[in-house]
Amino acid sequence: MLAVIRPDSWNLPLFLHVLGATVLFGATATVAIVGFAGRARTEHAAMLARVGFRTFLFGIVPGWILMYAAAAWVLDKEFPEDTPGWVDYGFVVSEGGAVLLLVLGVLAWLAARRKGTGRIAVAVPVLASIYLVALGVAWWAMSAKPGA
Amino acid sequence: MTTYEWLLFLHVTGAFLLLGGGVVAASLNIAALRRDRPSEIVLLFGLIRIAVVSIMIGTLFAFVFGLWLVHEAGYGYGDGWVITAIVLLIVANAMGGIGGRRDEATAKFAAELAAQGDAPSTELRSRVRDPVSLALSYGSGLVLVAILAIMIWKPGA
Repeated sequence: MLAVIRPDSWNLPLFLHVLGATVLFGATATVAIVGFAGRARTEHAAMLARVGFRTFLFGIVPGWILMYAAAAWVLDKEFPEDTPGWVDYGFVVSEGGAVLLLVLGVLAWLAARRKGTGRIAVAVPVLASIYLVALGVAWWAMSAKPGA
Repeated sequence: MTTYEWLLFLHVTGAFLLLGGGVVAASLNIAALRRDRPSEIVLLFGLIRIAVVSIMIGTLFAFVFGLWLVHEAGYGYGDGWVITAIVLLIVANAMGGIGGRRDEATAKFAAELAAQGDAPSTELRSRVRDPVSLALSYGSGLVLVAILAIMIWKPGA
């Protein structure tokens, strides 16, 4: 099947793109998990909020950068002129999602400062869960390539 | 969507659940390495169970739909990269499973300490930082990254 054949030069950027996306997915899931756990285990809410913020800094941020930079690299090779419609789904999630992630980062920082209490601490796992759904839509578009 | 596209989507979903679950487990494990109170270590190790569920579902999806994809895309089940990936998936699961059982024993010990006053313990600290458990768990993650590389490059295909 021709669909699975691609030039070797696309492999490294594609590998880094998928690796970055999986790190981004796992780190976002961690922020959601510790955020919800902090609501149920209030005696450990402060510690869990700190874990959430650190995971944002050392997991979500590098994962997003790797995913996005490698996507731009592979797109430059695969579609040097016009990009097909399914790529737009990825851009909506990566670029639009970056705004959501910035908000998530600020809220995670505030939640950590407030020892995991208050409404902000509730918003962090909810936002992280919304982003997880968006990532699911992106990987559907990247693999199914609707309209290709 | 064609059968191939459906299978690829489900295979990729499995890969994300598998590798993403590994990232969740690693993040919570790193957090546990930084803690001293037994109750905090129990909680963080307990949350890793969610990652284990994701890893199990991901392994199943990646394996089943991956094998189906091999047939659908016209590759052979005897191809070197397919066999290598399957062997490495078994190795990764075995390493993760053994490391996980050692961590489970550590979590039980931490739960006992938490019930007895929740005071930091040197023994718990060394069990959480047990180099064998860490090598097994993080080694398992590295093997998964190697499988991802094989899936992309398909050496010999």
